[in-house]
Amino acid sequence: MDNFELICPAGTPAALRAAVDAGADAVYLGFRDETNARNFPGLNFTRQDVADAVAYAHARKVEIFVAINTYPQAGNLDPWRKAVDDAARLKVDAVILADLGLLEYAAKRHPDLRLHLSVQASAANVEAIRLYCDAFGVRRVVLPRVLTVPEIARLNAEIDIETEVFVFGGLCPMAEGRCSLSSYATGLSPNKQGVCSPASHVRYEPRGSALASTLGGFTINVFGEGEPAGYPTLCKGRFVARDTPAYLFEEPTSLNAMDLLPELKAAGVRALKIEGRQRGKAYIGAVVRAYREALDSFAAGRPVPRIDLQAMVEGGTQTTGAYTRAWR
Amino acid sequence: MRDPDVTPTVNADDRARRFETGLSLVGLGLVPRLGERVSDALLARLLRQLAARHPRAFDALREMQDARVLIEPVDAPVALMMRVGPNLSLHALRREPIGACALAGLGEADAVIRGPYARLLDLLEGRIDGDALFFRRELSIAGDTALILALRNTLDGEEMDLMADAASLAGPLAGVLPVLRRNAGPVLDRIEAARRLLPPPLRRGAARLEARLSGLVPGAGPGAAS
Repeated sequence: MDNFELICPAGTPAALRAAVDAGADAVYLGFRDETNARNFPGLNFTRQDVADAVAYAHARKVEIFVAINTYPQAGNLDPWRKAVDDAARLKVDAVILADLGLLEYAAKRHPDLRLHLSVQASAANVEAIRLYCDAFGVRRVVLPRVLTVPEIARLNAEIDIETEVFVFGGLCPMAEGRCSLSSYATGLSPNKQGVCSPASHVRYEPRGSALASTLGGFTINVFGEGEPAGYPTLCKGRFVARDTPAYLFEEPTSLNAMDLLPELKAAGVRALKIEGRQRGKAYIGAVVRAYREALDSFAAGRPVPRIDLQAMVEGGTQTTGAYTRAWR
Repeated sequence: MRDPDVTPTVNADDRARRFETGLSLVGLGLVPRLGERVSDALLARLLRQLAARHPRAFDALREMQDARVLIEPVDAPVALMMRVGPNLSLHALRREPIGACALAGLGEADAVIRGPYARLLDLLEGRIDGDALFFRRELSIAGDTALILALRNTLDGEEMDLMADAASLAGPLAGVLPVLRRNAGPVLDRIEAARRLLPPPLRRGAARLEARLSGLVPGAGPGAAS
């Protein structure tokens, strides 16, 4: 049986080199514009950066995937089509797409370009995945973080394309590709402009010894003195209901499925993805090294080592998320 | 040969890094004592040096909108005001007394980033993840979050060795740094081993002297008020 592929994030050329050097099998990245879902200030790759990244990675037998995973807006298709054209021209190994129209454009215009279905497409059932496969020749689907391992196993038994799942990093399981919470608070969309909780709308304010985070003018959390903090996303906000402050949607916590490698392998998963294109190269290096070590041990039939990644996780807590659905 | 009875609790690389950090903190403490004109000129030269070594990042910093970021090491006698945009500049501000949060002239900053000096230095050189520091509350930010994010992402996109870059300002002495770095860890291990053999009163005296030299005791070190 083939080993897992380790798919790693990069938001900058330095992070890309860190990922490659730490043992990635493939690195995913985005152009520096609204065509990818991590459109943050100072982040992402120019066309020349991508050309350099391809050269650096291919020389080390590592693949480059380009995420073009936001949804084109009516009357303004050019940036998305150009992104697909440029990715093909720059000879990347795959593009990660979510939009139906863009998938059709890529399949027709660049028949040799490998297509992966983004998690933003939220394809979580056999019929949807077969449609993407039959209509556009999609070769891999990145599954949304809402499925249990047994559900992934049942899905894999019925489809004949590769699946990729997230194993580490931020959780976004409520409605990937369909979330409008941040749009409600800021007027800017994660799915159209690539900005979930855009930094331009985020403020941190000291309140005595506490720290308040606000998004679009709404206070979404107050962290007590010394309490671990989380990202300023509305889905991880803490709100007062019936006089009790609580995380109503999600908690600030990070996914870590390292303990589930045997189950994910038995479920037929092909590739494991680390989240965090917005994170620094120190995070990339540490997490990719840890997962490389774990995957190599697993592939060699040795016990998976317990590697401490606690320092890297949001809110100071880790979870296996929906894979084990421990809350049920 | 290393004394088998003395096992360092920190490895040689960590010790060398601490030494570097302490040394750069002392250097930073000296900057405002040179007077505003000289310190501004020195920092401008440092920026030029960094720009020559990291053109991609510095082009990006100059392309940003004109704004000021206050970089405030909470355990250092000095803060830095960085102006990004076409008029990129760096200005040192003395913090007196050490530990005070408010700085004269703070009002003109669009954003503030605060944390322990060693952490900020690690962050600048990409040795540590900024989000992880933020989650642990070791780093705090205020003001324009987008500005801080842009600055962080731009600098993290570089492979920066600030000590080597700053040392190159010292002309012929710059060549000494790699040798110092190679030897600092083992030498410091030996000093630590010797320190453990000292009687307790002398050990406490040495610790006090070190604290004064690194400028962490108000009114005593090179970075404190003159």
